[in-house]
Amino acid sequence: MRISGRYARRQEGAGVTVAVDTAASDRMAIDMESGITPSKWQRRKTRFGFLGSYTVIYLGFIYLPVLLIPLFSLNDALYVAFPIRDFTLDWYREMFAHENMLAALKNSVKVGLSAAFISTVLGLLAAKAFTRYRIPGAAGLIGFLSIPLVIPLIILGIALLIVLSRSGIELSLFTITLGHVVYCLPFAMFILMSRLEGFDKSVEEASLDLGENAWMTFWRITFPITLPGIIASLLLTFTISFDEFLLAFFLAGDELTLPIYIWSQLRFPKKLPSVLALGTMILTATFIMVTAAELIRRRGTGISSPGIR
Amino acid sequence: MSDSEFIVIRNVSRHFGRVRAVDQVSLAIAKGEFFGLLGSSGCGKTTLLRMLAGFESPTRGELYIDGQSVLAVPPYQRPVNMVFQNYAIFPHLNVAQNIAYGLRKDRLSKQQTRRKVDEVLELIKLEGYGQRGADELSGGQRQRVALARALIKKPKVLLLDEPLGALDKKLREQMQIELRQLQKDVGITFVFVTHDQEEALTMSDRIAVMSEGKVLEVGSPEQLYERPDTRFVADFLGTMNFFAGIIQNKTGSAVEISVPALGLLRSRHTTELPINASVWVAIRPENIRIGCDQPAHQNNSVRGKMGNAAYLGDRAHLYIDIENSDQRLLAAMQNVEGSASSAAQGSQNITLSWSDKSVILFAA
Repeated sequence: MRISGRYARRQEGAGVTVAVDTAASDRMAIDMESGITPSKWQRRKTRFGFLGSYTVIYLGFIYLPVLLIPLFSLNDALYVAFPIRDFTLDWYREMFAHENMLAALKNSVKVGLSAAFISTVLGLLAAKAFTRYRIPGAAGLIGFLSIPLVIPLIILGIALLIVLSRSGIELSLFTITLGHVVYCLPFAMFILMSRLEGFDKSVEEASLDLGENAWMTFWRITFPITLPGIIASLLLTFTISFDEFLLAFFLAGDELTLPIYIWSQLRFPKKLPSVLALGTMILTATFIMVTAAELIRRRGTGISSPGIR
Repeated sequence: MSDSEFIVIRNVSRHFGRVRAVDQVSLAIAKGEFFGLLGSSGCGKTTLLRMLAGFESPTRGELYIDGQSVLAVPPYQRPVNMVFQNYAIFPHLNVAQNIAYGLRKDRLSKQQTRRKVDEVLELIKLEGYGQRGADELSGGQRQRVALARALIKKPKVLLLDEPLGALDKKLREQMQIELRQLQKDVGITFVFVTHDQEEALTMSDRIAVMSEGKVLEVGSPEQLYERPDTRFVADFLGTMNFFAGIIQNKTGSAVEISVPALGLLRSRHTTELPINASVWVAIRPENIRIGCDQPAHQNNSVRGKMGNAAYLGDRAHLYIDIENSDQRLLAAMQNVEGSASSAAQGSQNITLSWSDKSVILFAA
């Protein structure tokens, strides 16, 4: 009886299809799911035990190895093995003493910030063009721009390396940035396209109508409404660039980025614990940034929903 | 330029590929007029409005507002403002910021801006709503904010795209009256688009009825409803009975038409058509009198049996099967103290009659 009662309530909820915020679409998803008879619903519930344990194992497989990194970064031993001898912060102290490592960290931040900024600006222009103008062959162009997402990075890296070395451009942080922009652009473009599609074009027309030209309309209307998407795009593309290895490996000159530096240090067992310490810090920073990006993106969609019919 | 030609639309066409959304339209709209563009969806009325606003440019033709050609003028420099169909309230700004949006170039002080915003808020009866967020407004309030935002610019022309389309019926009827009053108060020329004939009749000084990109007829609501020139307009506005017939005789003040279903009819509406021309005869349901034993009008009467009836509350629509014919006649009856329902259940044999003034003719 309790189940059928709940089922009935879900059915009532099916009438709510007005807002296009996430909460409503979640609700609708549930309602569609509940288009089954109560008895089937009950049967499905018994399978939950299997699905539940599958979920736990799956998540454990993904996250336990990652969680070992912070754990062993605190272990007072050179080797990564249980039992843990003692807890220490020495490796963190040692990490900050490595000048090369800090230089690599600085390089990665430089490349990451540049790549994030450039790909977000270009992505915004592309997204605006695709969502606001009638462009012949737009679907094909979008596909073309997203090729870096599907071709193997190793191929992309080699291809870029050939082109750059043939055209006599010296490999440096600049070439890494270039490669990362190519790779990050489709991510930025898709985030911003969904954002731009999510709000009504007539608000831009209303701004033109009220006396603002295209440029001021962009600054007073399009930019503030798109801002959550822009921030999400900046955070995501920075994260992608920051831990990208293959492109950076092919396109690096004398100055290394952090992933390449870490990879090169793995040959020296003595350096491993401080790499783990660094890894822990990067992990924490990445986690905070991606969570922030997602939170901002989600909160952002709430703003535009009243404009949508 | 005279006041009656405040807005001039001359031979304007707008093609989208092969589709002629607007086809050779010419209109003149007077200063201070409340002008309605009426038509079903896809008839080109919104495209025409957007050309006045500057969001579309005509493929051919000329547009003048207050004597100036506006073809080369971008939307942000035209002396017109628009109320969008979904109101297009800026979602990231509050009500006061929305309303003051178009004032940036006037470089007013904060106090001046606030005073202007307060004035307009009072005009649209939303005093004290300035700090509300865009998402805290009801449909009717959003509509008022969109109006205020446009009116504060003091445009020469206000364009409204289905201004009441998103509101529920009660609110719509109330806003029809309020908009009409507001237009009289501010004295600005209003051009509005609607697919709702009742709305067009209630609010407009004059209406242009559009179909398939063309303007079929322009006139006051009374003209278009009572003396339409085309069958399309007669059919589109309100409900209408149509019968095929042939002109039998013409005198100075009347026309006699033989209609197979109804016999010989008299019309007071003169026509250019010759004797023996086929015509459509049209009679409004509300002009038909029911149940007089002695028909009030000698020629224009017919006997029939009560068929279906649709009860509409304030009136009823009675479908009457005409005697010796397979055609039906729709008669509308005011429901006074339940009279309509008793008529619907009443006698089987009825006499219907109508005045020769209410018989309208169209070329078939």
